[in-house]
Amino acid sequence: MKKNESNSDPSKTGEISRRDFIKGAAALGAVAAVGSILPLSAEEQTAPYAVDTNSSATVPVPPTPGSTVNQIELAIPAVTDVPKTTKYECDVLVLGCGFAGLNAAVAAKKAGKSVILVDKGRPGYSGLAPFASSHRWFDPEMGDSVDAFRQYEMIGGEYICNLSWYDIWIKDSKAAYQRLMNWGILTQFDKASIAGAYVEKKDYVGYREKFDQYDRRKKFIKVLTDNKIDYVENTMITDVIQQDGTVIGGMGFDVRTGTVMTFVAKAVVMCMGGGSYKPSGFPTSTDTFDAEYIGYNLGLPIIGKEFDDFHMTVSYAAGNTFLNDTWTYLENIWLCGGDAVPGKAKEIATVKEKAMLLDRLNKAVNGLPNNDGTEMEVLAKADVSRRGGSLSKNPLDPRKGKNNDDMPKGDTYGAAIGMCAHLTSGIFCGIDDLVGYTGVPGLYVAGDGSNGSLVSGAAYPCGVGFTSNFCSIQGWRAGEAAAEYASSAKLVLPSLSKISSITKDILAPTVLKTGFDANWARDELQAIMSPYWIHIAKTESTLQGALAQVQYMRDNVVPKLMAPSSHDLRLCHEVRHKVLSAEMKLRASLARKESRGYHYRTDYPYRDDKNFLCYISVKKDKSGYMGTALVPIKDEWKGNTAEAYASRYGCRFPGETEAMGLSVTKE
Amino acid sequence: MSVKRIDLNLCIGCKECYTVCPMDVFRFDSVAKKSVIAYPENCQSCGQCYLNCPGRSITIVNEMTGYSITSYRATTTARNAKSETTK
Repeated sequence: MKKNESNSDPSKTGEISRRDFIKGAAALGAVAAVGSILPLSAEEQTAPYAVDTNSSATVPVPPTPGSTVNQIELAIPAVTDVPKTTKYECDVLVLGCGFAGLNAAVAAKKAGKSVILVDKGRPGYSGLAPFASSHRWFDPEMGDSVDAFRQYEMIGGEYICNLSWYDIWIKDSKAAYQRLMNWGILTQFDKASIAGAYVEKKDYVGYREKFDQYDRRKKFIKVLTDNKIDYVENTMITDVIQQDGTVIGGMGFDVRTGTVMTFVAKAVVMCMGGGSYKPSGFPTSTDTFDAEYIGYNLGLPIIGKEFDDFHMTVSYAAGNTFLNDTWTYLENIWLCGGDAVPGKAKEIATVKEKAMLLDRLNKAVNGLPNNDGTEMEVLAKADVSRRGGSLSKNPLDPRKGKNNDDMPKGDTYGAAIGMCAHLTSGIFCGIDDLVGYTGVPGLYVAGDGSNGSLVSGAAYPCGVGFTSNFCSIQGWRAGEAAAEYASSAKLVLPSLSKISSITKDILAPTVLKTGFDANWARDELQAIMSPYWIHIAKTESTLQGALAQVQYMRDNVVPKLMAPSSHDLRLCHEVRHKVLSAEMKLRASLARKESRGYHYRTDYPYRDDKNFLCYISVKKDKSGYMGTALVPIKDEWKGNTAEAYASRYGCRFPGETEAMGLSVTKE
Repeated sequence: MSVKRIDLNLCIGCKECYTVCPMDVFRFDSVAKKSVIAYPENCQSCGQCYLNCPGRSITIVNEMTGYSITSYRATTTARNAKSETTK
């Protein structure tokens, strides 16, 4: 790997604010006059931020009279931590360090390539990976049945599950589990109620410190450093560099300073997760459809957008994640699997779908009471299969299922509105792809929300713990494929005009002197997309109404998003991604004129096997219009299409029985 | 809910909160050697800063301060839920 040191380092000279302001503003216009391939120095690329006066944190909180406690928050300091290196070169560039990205990076490194991993935050602590609480694998040595699991997946995914990818899971999942175990990410240790008086004292910090050596978040960077993989933190990638049809790197900015960052690579693997508009209970705010946005603008098909996330939350208050999930976060990742039994696939899938979807759907539409967190769930008392544990009855089977300390029960549908069910949505790589190759030379995708593999079909029947395992598999395969591609590819330096154009795009919100606040725009989008009649019980008219509003935001709000600080620059780009994603979600939901899995249309309250045993792709055409298309799937994935409707589908959407003329007595 | 300062005097300047926060909420004052809760409005209340704060300088406010916008809230209030659980 070769690094290009920048010419100047403002952090050493202390020369910031006004001089940077002028230089930063001038940088955009100065690009064309500079002759080098990567013309902008760190200083020139730094957005002109000194002190942000907009934050509420700059308003001092007076100390309590008579108290020695100091609650006065310091003012936001001037930008000093400008990255010393802003231009990188490597064989394989991995974007995002969740389970997919970590595995992709190590796989590419083990294949002998120089690898750089870039993350929007700190590896191990950003994205959804820090909050994984279970991990499952297929274990033939414990008696797992291939047929039982395939049936379960096919029926539970409502006959559009990508069984080819599922077969890869059956083949590769144990190796992925062992890899993560070797890395220390799955180390098992005493839960808080057993380790001491932590639960009764609510001593979260003390418990974390006691088992500090097992903290799985720390293992991510350890794996990177043990494998001599360079990583760049706090860098949001907003675009890949495509030149002559080939992807030759990625560009983005350092979120602490607004410094433009350029990465030149022979191959790029995007493992950037999915996204949501503004979660109300789950800590998914860092995922903002970054890969999907890049892929869409490259003209790639995005798939699976209509299948909304089903996750529950006790979200009575915005962002009450900490109360809900902290013991789960702190305790080990629980080992799961082995819970699909031959001959019971339909029964299990149906029970699950009723609990996970239909129960909440009914509550949402009818205003019925729901759990809000005051009722505690005691997982230790739940049966093993309820916890996602093995039914092998083998005492040596480590898959005991989730057994974390008590947590609040809750079932408010839509913890993370905008998020699709795990492993459904993302860039579609084709029906036969099994490595995450996008079709654009040099570009690969892996993981939840980035690779639209639809391995979980329409309803995520895979069981708890599947996502962290499957993302590891997809990441590894994409890393290997990218490394193989890089072996025969040359490092191509981007043209001046390409760099200039992406730089302009990155810094555009910093140039505006008046405009919209990104947090406000995000909340408006949330308000448009969150009603149950938009994303739970959908209709043509409500979807069209929301689409009109989202398109208004696309045309009138997004171009005017203004970034008075580098922090806001990140928010502006994220809102841009979210608005595009919302439009895709609405168009995909309009195109699937049936109900299936986590997609329910009140105007089409039934499965339509004749027309919709397929995927819906959303794609930008050559004129820039967002179009949708039906993508055929393999017949083998569809199950027995000659089976009677009433038996093929085990649960009914509201209105389905009447619409299909089904006999109520047969229900 | 969001991160809140307990006592700035307890901040030992280790940068842990600034380092692990995935939402870019923190800045660091390298002169005062103290972290700064710069953008609490973007806190996702994951608590990673609090859990990793060796000085116990920050916490997560856990009072219910308002309702979130959700897909449905129906009768979701603590009062109603309590009556549910006692049925």
